[in-house]
Amino acid sequence: MEFGPYLFIASLEGAITAAVLALTAVGLSIVFGIMRVVNVAHGEFYMLGAVFAWWITNLIGGHPAVGFVAAVIITPVLVGVLAVIADHLILRKIDYDPERTIVATIGLLYVIQQTTLMTFGPEARPVEAPFNKRIALPWIEYGEQGLALIWPWGLSTTTYKLAVIVAAIFILLMLWLLMTRTRIGLIMRATQLDREMATAHGIPVNKVYALVFGLGAGLAALGAVLIVPIQQAHYLMGADPLLLSFIVVIIGGLGSVVGTIVAALFIGLSDGIISVFFTPTLAKIIATLAVAFVLVFRPQGMFGKPE
Amino acid sequence: MLEVRSIDVAYDKVQVLFNLSLRVERGSILCLVGRNGAGKTTTLKSIMGLIPVRQGSITFDQTVLTTLPPHEIPGSGIAYVPQGRRLFAELSVKQNMDIGLMASGAGQDTYSSVLEMFPKLQERLNQRAETLSGGEQQMLAMARALCMKPEVILLDEPTEGLQPSMIELIRTVILQLKSQNVAIVLVEQHVDTVIAMADSVAFIVHGRNPETISGNELRDNPDRVERYLGVE
Ligand SMILES: Nc1ncnc2c1ncn2[C@@H]1O[C@H](COP(=O)(O)OP(=O)(O)OP(=O)(O)O)[C@@H](O)[C@H]1O
Ligand SMILES: [Mg+2]
Repeated sequence: MEFGPYLFIASLEGAITAAVLALTAVGLSIVFGIMRVVNVAHGEFYMLGAVFAWWITNLIGGHPAVGFVAAVIITPVLVGVLAVIADHLILRKIDYDPERTIVATIGLLYVIQQTTLMTFGPEARPVEAPFNKRIALPWIEYGEQGLALIWPWGLSTTTYKLAVIVAAIFILLMLWLLMTRTRIGLIMRATQLDREMATAHGIPVNKVYALVFGLGAGLAALGAVLIVPIQQAHYLMGADPLLLSFIVVIIGGLGSVVGTIVAALFIGLSDGIISVFFTPTLAKIIATLAVAFVLVFRPQGMFGKPE
Repeated sequence: MLEVRSIDVAYDKVQVLFNLSLRVERGSILCLVGRNGAGKTTTLKSIMGLIPVRQGSITFDQTVLTTLPPHEIPGSGIAYVPQGRRLFAELSVKQNMDIGLMASGAGQDTYSSVLEMFPKLQERLNQRAETLSGGEQQMLAMARALCMKPEVILLDEPTEGLQPSMIELIRTVILQLKSQNVAIVLVEQHVDTVIAMADSVAFIVHGRNPETISGNELRDNPDRVERYLGVE
């Protein structure tokens, strides 16, 4: 295949990474922004999302679409509820102290990971996509008769991959509407801006925190459900999304949801493109270097405000 | 009636209030007067439940505030205008007021009547709070509190850093609240405002309340304020 179509397909793969990464990283970002909690266990909520999706689709059986739709609805709720329980049992007990929550969520990471290993085993589990039609993609080429559409061999994607991108955009749009157009969004933003004044205006800050922690975990789980028909579920799969989410949140600016989404697009696309042309390892190295540059030259991130 | 009975309050290990008592009736203004660091802000935060009270109690009519979770205290009729305004900076004027309305469950009529008191805000409903001028921010801090339809309002230096005409407006609003039978606790450094408005004056010295006098006693003897505020 020539360079042009090759870059095109790499970008498409990158867009899928970006879409799922945006969901996961926005979850991390709102938890940090509103609760000031650095959730090291965030990648495990993602992993749980994938494993539960496999579990639910298996349990239901039948046509893959039926199980998958059930997984899309049930999994984020289930993972969100688990996160709310973790918030009650752990984070609230240590009063959301910034340092102690880091240590506590590291502990939570291992608890979730090992429990999953003991319950579901070490195998990678596939989930069948609800629909998965291959579509050949056209490319424009300048030939003998001028500009013409051609269908290069190997330039194709699947309907499911395109659906992942559309679904991620839709979910982020819904989240944006929730944050900017609803009462609960207003309450969450007020809590983020001034916890003490929110309390003095009748906002039950602890309930808001529980909700935000559940929402953040649910977003990670939803991202994982979307990707699992492409990637398989495995109890160790939480590490990469955690690392990439941190990278994205730092580059985008701590607490800035818009910054997080823009950075996810940037990191996801470059990850896809560099992985296809070179190696996935080089992609991670470059992403990490990008964080180092941001920390040196613009510590507040692209969209963050200076302290 | 709001009553503070012999409270002790500490930040971690440093005790700031010692056996402090206050009371304020509906339709009257209690001024808290004391030097910087005396504990006036801490007293108001204790009433709002923002700092735990170690000893003593705070009650409003039959409600014991010190046993309520902090976020339920506004719902029992108490609003707070904090020192330095503390608006929700990135939210608009309207959204800041909405937060107040949510706390009381008050509706459109409350919203309109508050805006009538502060017509300047009416022109800036969609502007972010942080972009308002200092005076407008203070109006919004008051408006946000008034949206809670309070029976008690705690005002922490609401005229700090404002020009005379703005101070006049704030004073007018406070008197209006008094006429609506709201109990008012006012932390105030301007002696003339204290003399003009106070029904009673509680002096606060190093976290204690050595005496509370009536407004009339103060007007007979204006230099007493100076004694508690002036340099040693
Ligand atoms: N969060 C805090 N942690 C520790 N100490 C505090 C805290 N807030 C206030 N203090 C201390 O409590 C004491 C009383 O402070 P407070 O703010 O109540 O004074 P104030 O009378 O309102 O003063 P001002 O007139 O300057 O506003 C001060 O010595 C202050 O240093
Ligand atoms: Mg003060």
